[in-house]
Amino acid sequence: MDGLGEQRIRLGYAQAERHVRPGTDPGRPGTGPAARWSTASSVEFRTRKAHSMDVGLFVQYVMNGLMLGVMYALVAVGFTLFFGVMNIINFSHGDVLMVGAFVGLATYLGVSSIGVENPWGQLAAAMIVAASAMALMGVAVAKYLVLPLKNAPPLNTLLITLMLGTALHEAVRLFYPRGANPQRFPSLLPTDAYSFGNFTLRIDSVILLGTGLLAIVGIHLLINRTKLGLAMRAVAQDEDTAKTMGIDFDRIVLITFAIGSALAAFTGILHGLYYSEVNFAMGLLLGVIGFSSAIVGGLGNIYGAIIGGFLFAALQTLGVVAMPFASAYKDVFAFGVIILIMAWRPTGLISEKISERV
Amino acid sequence: MSARGRLAPLLPGIVVAVGVTTYVIVLLGVESQTGIAALLAAGAGAVLAAARFGVAARMGRAFGKRDNFLNLLVVLAIVVLTVFFYEDHFVLLMVATVIIYVIACLGLNLQFGYSGVLNFAGAAFFGVGCYTAAVLTKNTDVPHLVILVAGGLMAATVGSVLLLPVLRTRGHYSAVVTIAFGLLFKIFLEVNDTLGGPQGLRVDGMNVLGWEFNDNIEIGENFEASFYVNYVVVGLILLVLAFALVRRIERSWIGLNLDAVRLDETAASCFGINIMRWKITAFILGNFLIGLAGALYAMMLGFIAPTNFTFGDSLILVSIVLLGGIGNPWGLAVATTILIIVPEKLQAIQEYRFLLFAVMVILILLFRPEGLLPRPLRAYFPGWRPK
Amino acid sequence: MPKFRFTHFAAVAAAAMVTGLALGMSPAGAKEKVTVGFIGPLSGGTSSNGIGGRNSADLAVRLRNADPNAKYEYELLVQDDECKPNIGVQAATKFGANKDMIAAATHYCSAVAISTVDVYHKFGLPIIVWGAVLPDITYGNNYKEIHRVNGTMINQNETAAKFMTGLGYQTWAIIHDTTDYGKGHNKYFSENLVKNGGKILGTFGVTSDQQDFFAELTKIKSLNPDVLYFGGLTPIGVRIRAQMERLGLKAQFQGTSGIVSDTFIEGAGPLAEGVLAFREGAPTETLPGGKFFLEQYAKQGYSDPPEAYGAFAFTAMNLILDTIEAVGPDRKKVRNALNNVTGSNAADSITGKVDFDDHGQNTIAVITKYVSQDGKWTVWENSEYASGMRKLKGM
Repeated sequence: MDGLGEQRIRLGYAQAERHVRPGTDPGRPGTGPAARWSTASSVEFRTRKAHSMDVGLFVQYVMNGLMLGVMYALVAVGFTLFFGVMNIINFSHGDVLMVGAFVGLATYLGVSSIGVENPWGQLAAAMIVAASAMALMGVAVAKYLVLPLKNAPPLNTLLITLMLGTALHEAVRLFYPRGANPQRFPSLLPTDAYSFGNFTLRIDSVILLGTGLLAIVGIHLLINRTKLGLAMRAVAQDEDTAKTMGIDFDRIVLITFAIGSALAAFTGILHGLYYSEVNFAMGLLLGVIGFSSAIVGGLGNIYGAIIGGFLFAALQTLGVVAMPFASAYKDVFAFGVIILIMAWRPTGLISEKISERV
Repeated sequence: MSARGRLAPLLPGIVVAVGVTTYVIVLLGVESQTGIAALLAAGAGAVLAAARFGVAARMGRAFGKRDNFLNLLVVLAIVVLTVFFYEDHFVLLMVATVIIYVIACLGLNLQFGYSGVLNFAGAAFFGVGCYTAAVLTKNTDVPHLVILVAGGLMAATVGSVLLLPVLRTRGHYSAVVTIAFGLLFKIFLEVNDTLGGPQGLRVDGMNVLGWEFNDNIEIGENFEASFYVNYVVVGLILLVLAFALVRRIERSWIGLNLDAVRLDETAASCFGINIMRWKITAFILGNFLIGLAGALYAMMLGFIAPTNFTFGDSLILVSIVLLGGIGNPWGLAVATTILIIVPEKLQAIQEYRFLLFAVMVILILLFRPEGLLPRPLRAYFPGWRPK
Repeated sequence: MPKFRFTHFAAVAAAAMVTGLALGMSPAGAKEKVTVGFIGPLSGGTSSNGIGGRNSADLAVRLRNADPNAKYEYELLVQDDECKPNIGVQAATKFGANKDMIAAATHYCSAVAISTVDVYHKFGLPIIVWGAVLPDITYGNNYKEIHRVNGTMINQNETAAKFMTGLGYQTWAIIHDTTDYGKGHNKYFSENLVKNGGKILGTFGVTSDQQDFFAELTKIKSLNPDVLYFGGLTPIGVRIRAQMERLGLKAQFQGTSGIVSDTFIEGAGPLAEGVLAFREGAPTETLPGGKFFLEQYAKQGYSDPPEAYGAFAFTAMNLILDTIEAVGPDRKKVRNALNNVTGSNAADSITGKVDFDDHGQNTIAVITKYVSQDGKWTVWENSEYASGMRKLKGM
């Protein structure tokens, strides 16, 4: 690594400047807490044989974290949509994501065997088919499993969606050809890479990140700027009044489930493109993490979900940066923090406003 | 009352017990797949017929009157089963596994069915008991019966870590806490090598007062019983104790308080019931039973690994409680028997068992949410029925 | 009324039970039936090896049953161990507890095999390992029931270290999985590498179902090694290779016998090109009985290939069947006979001579070096990389 001279970044913080010494971390841009981190990390890195973290490495970590954050945020937003409309946790969301990814893969295989060679065409086909298929499945789930249990204790709905998720991933494992093995997902986006020192920027990573952020913005616009979104928010606030206002409750629920499931399929394909792989167990952990992020941000609040998703990713990345040789602990770390946050703020960081009929 | 007068009401109970025991013995003994499928169909048909003709309701009433007798019959049935299969390792292993799972589910039932505390980390607490047994048998000389209790205590202690989040949260949020904990437990075991890591740990067999549980029982030259008989016996004793405990609790003022907490927290606290205290009691006691079962299971299997305690296994425990009928210990026992023995015998569906469980639970939740044997109204005296 | 219903009910139940019993009884046969077993990973990321092994063992049993001179009729029971230690222990317990099972060919995954040795010893069931390479399976205990026909990872890693340093590579980063398998590879490779003058820049342990390796790979990228050594199985191998590419990590990828499978090449696609791996035993076609085995395998029409260890599974099962023919269906006798397969009593098989040492381990002299070329695992010496027409990374 080059010494301080070549890699000093203008920070604007005297605090960080103070710690700039030859052979140590030249500092990372950031706010106050980050400067404190850089203190700790420069000490840490100094004791670890004067290993320095250069900008490229840092940016790479940030990039990894951002991608994770986008995916978690998308899953969390899905959970929030379902919760908002029906006050239920749809535990099958993660597995719907997985099924969507598999449907996308199957579509790609089908389409390329008919002879469509253009990767953009293949990608579009996979996206469209997966999203529509999952939207239909979402509608079926809502109609046959969730709506009938509207008046049952919430535990039943929780369990039924949980079991549905299990049924989905077992079905894929058993019935998809070689379903138990990880499946290779094709690289349908351009894979040109640009290197900046330790940081490699791949075009498809940028595209994935961009599209994910666009999707989040799109959902936000949908909820806040359209009539449909207005109807969804009305139903989330008070079902009976919304019905009085002429909103068709059942239709809105079905539409919400369709949108949420299509979003899940989209995220699944994103995940497949990013890791170049799909496997039947990918929905499990993603679902729980997405759910935890939604909770941490406060259920029913889209912004909370997004914050929760990025927060979770940040926690994991931090864990990884602090202990690069034991990155497997990042999940332990993240779940532990979730439990602590729940103990401290039982209804999430941005608390849900509940009223209970006694 | 003459002897016949006393015996008459018990007759249906005895007949059913004998019939069921014979059925189970035959089911466990038959090897061929078609035979087993035929037997299962016959069994299901018989049960449906019984329900249809009202025979089931009458038997239920008969049993309700003579609770202790029924318990005795069941214990006797299990003893007969064990004697019949004294040589067959695998059948006895299944019987012992069912007994252990029933104990664990009784603990879950205490938390879930009586006081409404959601616990999706049942397998994690089971695992705590298992690992306690593994560590203690390997490194210390603690007598093995004490290890069983220690397993329970460790599970209860670990559970108390979760107390604060579980008590402060309600509904979905408390589900998250226990799910997160269950996942955390398994992942932690896998990444951390102190408890064996992904390779797992070996557990020594039980050894009580010098009687080595892992040796076949040999009496004389010709009699050799499977060593699993030892575990079945110990399991049975623990089961009887756990069952008696749970029933007593259910019937007592403690059970009343737990039910009140479950049914309506606000109303219960209006009446002066300390919600926190009862939830804590249920949670800790439930975890104790689960840990106890885990310790015995570890010593019986001789080997445990983190993949024994996944979220899927916690879901199986919850499904058993749900399927049997939330809050009904008898329902539990029936559900466990079905869910453990049927996949083992029907090898063809072994691979599909998770899928079948999931579909079954979905169907039950849609069409019969009370479960197989729904919990009857609280009976203040044995045999009491609302007029 | 009630009485009628009861007897009716009892009659139905009795009829059902009798039917069940009748169906349960099997017809008597001419030859005595003997049960043998096979355990391997039939589902999960390593299933192609397990299925290949199962088909090979099945082939051995079929050929024997078709032989008119065989004394017994053999039935093969198969169990899936899912490459998970606890499932493996369950499967082993099932086999051990089954009084009819005489012997079995077991395990591809080392993590599973090392956990089940106690179970086989407990039940006294003699077994022959056909695919697991961890040395401790045979050398870590003194159980008479445990044998193995394939080699251990010690030789594999010795050869690997020598070869790689010979090619001119100098620095390594090691990723290994945290099961005993990965840890074993790490231990033996690191020892041998240091002996041969290679430098290890960093060692990373990962869990066997880990999805995201960007953290480790980012760190490794900053260390800039020549070679990335991976001690683990196919599923993670595929992921690491794909994620390396995304990060622009240009080190040469070197694996162990765990990635010598068609699934790796399928999974990594074009990225598998130029990956090096090592395996004990000669390639199947060049084995003494290799052609015969491949012909018979093709004749049976299995839908999956035998994969790298199929030939060993065939050898293991054949040895079991031969021994049962010689001494009869008795666990103790078979165990003692297997322990006698040594020195002048060494057995011939399609993989060469089987000669068990005092720990039941067969000695395999040959280590094959593979490089992945054009979508197939090609023996190094025959490849275009050896002749210089293609270049490995960093050369």
